[in-house]
Amino acid sequence: MKPDGEWLRVHPASPFIRGWVALAAIGFFFGRDTFERLLQGRPLMDEMYSGRVPFLLAGGGLVLLLAVLGFIMTWYFTRYQVAEGYVRVNTGFLFKQQRQARLDRVQAIDIVQPLLARIFGLAELKFEVADAGESAVRLAYLRIDDARQLRATILARAAGLEPDPERPGAALPEAPEFVVLSVPPSRLVGSLLLSEQSFFVALGAVASVVLSALTENRSFYFYLIPAALGLAAAYWASFNKGYNFTAAISPDGIRLRYGLLDTQAQTLPPGRIQALKVSQPPLWRIFGWYRMQVNVAGYGGPGSNGEGASRTTLLPVGVLADVMRMLSLVLPDPGTPDPARVFAAGLTGLAPAGGSNAGGPPAPAAGGPVAGDPDGGFVTSPRRVRLLAPLGRRRNGFAATDTALLIRSGRLWRELVVVPHQRTQSMALHQGPLARRFRVADLVLHTTAGPVSPRVIQAGLDEARALFDAQAARAREARKRQTSEQWLAQVAPRQPDHQQNQQEGQQHG
Amino acid sequence: MPTEAIDPPGISWLRVSPKYVTVRLVEWAFGNLIAVALLSLPLVFTLAGWWDWVPLWLAITVPAFMLVLAVWRLLLIPRQVRAIGYAERDDDLLIRGGIFFQRTLVVPYGRMQYVDIGVGPVERSLGLCTLKLHTASAGTNAEIPGLPADEGARLREQLSARGAARLAGL
Repeated sequence: MKPDGEWLRVHPASPFIRGWVALAAIGFFFGRDTFERLLQGRPLMDEMYSGRVPFLLAGGGLVLLLAVLGFIMTWYFTRYQVAEGYVRVNTGFLFKQQRQARLDRVQAIDIVQPLLARIFGLAELKFEVADAGESAVRLAYLRIDDARQLRATILARAAGLEPDPERPGAALPEAPEFVVLSVPPSRLVGSLLLSEQSFFVALGAVASVVLSALTENRSFYFYLIPAALGLAAAYWASFNKGYNFTAAISPDGIRLRYGLLDTQAQTLPPGRIQALKVSQPPLWRIFGWYRMQVNVAGYGGPGSNGEGASRTTLLPVGVLADVMRMLSLVLPDPGTPDPARVFAAGLTGLAPAGGSNAGGPPAPAAGGPVAGDPDGGFVTSPRRVRLLAPLGRRRNGFAATDTALLIRSGRLWRELVVVPHQRTQSMALHQGPLARRFRVADLVLHTTAGPVSPRVIQAGLDEARALFDAQAARAREARKRQTSEQWLAQVAPRQPDHQQNQQEGQQHG
Repeated sequence: MPTEAIDPPGISWLRVSPKYVTVRLVEWAFGNLIAVALLSLPLVFTLAGWWDWVPLWLAITVPAFMLVLAVWRLLLIPRQVRAIGYAERDDDLLIRGGIFFQRTLVVPYGRMQYVDIGVGPVERSLGLCTLKLHTASAGTNAEIPGLPADEGARLREQLSARGAARLAGL
């Protein structure tokens, strides 16, 4: 660990690793013609060009020189510093830019290693800060050990650990981690084959075969080739991203590692997960697989860039036990005496066919689900909406524990959304004319951008109104309990030791 | 149709200025009248005999349909403006709106990141303003249009003070 506050540079090789595509393009542009001529045994230059060889060489050399010079300048003027609770990154030599990020606002921190960087033992450090606008602060590239060290430092500061005043330069130990689960490659392949997109692939294949048989147009198959290539690329991307997925827990938070060629290690500090979704496409039901996705401030929606979808995935595919384990990491205090039953009801449960808790008085929303309820305390849509949602009626519902709101929906595409109470930003009740006719309303919880958009569908009007009030009160209470962004500081200051605070670190957020 | 409100009972809503109807009328005129005028062009052309490929019934039906829609929207405007309401509670702000598609929104003071006041040209001439609240969620979309300028300023100060007192992290 370097002394605090010193300005540092990233690894000198980094611009070449980032710009290798440009270099390769230049090489390709100038090299291809020469190479072809050599192969064909022709002279390197046509007669008419031979007089201009020096110019051509000089031109090519100049372009190359400029590119390399640009790389060196970018490298020289990119500097970073970790000091006084901030990370500052300076870039640019013509247009200077300084970005600074508050450490206690770190939402997530990733170490990304593209294939080329991995070969050279380098890594990119990327962190999302809630107050730094939309884009992440990134440092590319550092030596992998330095990147790990910096991550440990940033996380320790973010957790509220101050550097030892007697030895300010001492390296902070990296927090130990314990592997919680991993996804075997066979299951990943199976999940891809049974995913929704495979369903549409099969549908498209059948449709095209039928069409070509009907129209007797053989050339129809040719249109399928680009589609097949695109699909193969999509499958490959999913496989490459999801390969060797491992989740681990450390005092710094949840660590996710994955990737075949490009590897990525994400760290989600405790309490940074704004909302969570467990979903199950219809075909996954055969093997009892689930997928988990999260909203984290700064990660953004899946559409914002290509990497979004994999970064917001908490578990690409897992069995029920994996889901429960991840839930226990994300929500260490489930706020109910019987979490297994409540969450299982949220994942697969159905209200009794008769609709015993529908249409009657509002179910008790406070104090957690009622013990002994076969449906885990979920309040589902009233019986009167059976014309609106004949399938989903017994499934769509919500349950509130002391720490989180659980929203389940979907009979075929099963979904369970979990929103911790202290993470609710705002809420809205919605009611259209048809819903008013049936005396139901939707409750939408607003969270940060991401793949999860919590919505209680078609709750009975009285239940929805009671939930609206109760949820506002619960969110208020939860916010009062949560006093600090620094997750170790939220715990009573018992052991200010990074290593031993592991349990507390997990339980509060 | 039963018109039972979806908001929690026992809340005294503050209404926005009735002058906001004028703002909505201007917006309505810009949007709908231009659309109707554009869609009437084929009718004019057909009647003038420049075009003969458009069937007359179609040239009449389309703009007529748009006109009916526009008039319908026009008639709704006063009711829609009356439906907008807000209420300051101890810990959060409630905003409601809509007649057919009702929405009741609650924004906790501690969740507000910043408060915006926007004034358009029509609003300025009427002494109105639009207050907008931002939280960490893009879905919040909390807007109170048509506030008198001094009420908007008061509300902004009030909300900022309350937000600062209850500010929580994400």
